[in-house]
Amino acid sequence: MAAEDATCLAAYRRGDAEALGRLVDKYRRPLFAFLSRFAAHPGEADEWFQETWVRAIQHMNLFRQKNLPGWLFRIAHNLIVDHARRRKPDCSLDAPLPDGTATLADMVPADRPTPAAETAGRDLGRLIAAAAANLPVEQREVFWLRMDAGLSFREIARVQRCSINTALARMQYALGKLRAALGPAYRELQDLRP
Amino acid sequence: MNQTHVERWLLLEQTGELSARQRRQLAAALAASSVARRGRAELCGLAAAIPPVTAQPAADAVPRIAARLRARQKPSLTFPPAWKPALAAVAALALLVGLRVFRYQPGGYGGSAVAAVAEEEDWTDPLEAEFAELENLISGFDSDEPFGITEL
Repeated sequence: MAAEDATCLAAYRRGDAEALGRLVDKYRRPLFAFLSRFAAHPGEADEWFQETWVRAIQHMNLFRQKNLPGWLFRIAHNLIVDHARRRKPDCSLDAPLPDGTATLADMVPADRPTPAAETAGRDLGRLIAAAAANLPVEQREVFWLRMDAGLSFREIARVQRCSINTALARMQYALGKLRAALGPAYRELQDLRP
Repeated sequence: MNQTHVERWLLLEQTGELSARQRRQLAAALAASSVARRGRAELCGLAAAIPPVTAQPAADAVPRIAARLRARQKPSLTFPPAWKPALAAVAALALLVGLRVFRYQPGGYGGSAVAAVAEEEDWTDPLEAEFAELENLISGFDSDEPFGITEL
């Protein structure tokens, strides 16, 4: 954990309410952006955001990692997975196949963005976001943890409690589906410069 | 190195998770394959193309988090942190005073023990007489000697 984070946490425990504000503000953007990608509406993202912080501070004694953002994203991941399970269909596309290498969803071509999404967002970025919304939860998580939150694959693997190879494979599946969903538009990406 | 392998290394290159040796191998693979170069350009473009999330958490998110934390805190944790050392100091002081009083008690520990033994000797059990009578009665049953009905 960064020394600054540890100082803020210690100050909050001593009763300094502003220390919590400083800490929340520091990780507000990446955490809220990540949660927003999975929430049905801003109110839900806001609820998850608050719950993530409450759980993080409540269970700080159990925290073994030295990386606060990793710990926050791990809790956010749990919230998202719990939520996804509650509305899980009878036959899950996320269930692993008997050989354990992939899921049923990996074998099914990703949906193209809906016509509404295409007309609403003509630019490539919105098309990518719309196509990513159709990815299975695990792949979507890896994709946004990498692209939005900027986590390394080692950190993503820690968040998802999987091997780094599994995290990489999920990202590859996600990119493959985006490529298939966006078609020629995906190839335009090579003309963009960061 | 096959395409899947190159793709993985391109992903790891973006996050700086490749070793120097792996970076050299990847550079060689990129020099040899136009597909790899296109894949790398697409990955770089992907990061640039994604629009950032503009939504923000509620303005009162921090007070709400603090309120939730207060509501879920265990009663034992509701003591302000300054109370704990104060409580420990009071307990230590009470222990010291107790030890001091005990040490300077007239007669000390040994004297108290002797007094307790003497007191025990003086004490007579009020049930002892009744137990003795009952014992005599039972031994009377066991013996062959006849006894009157009044004895029962």
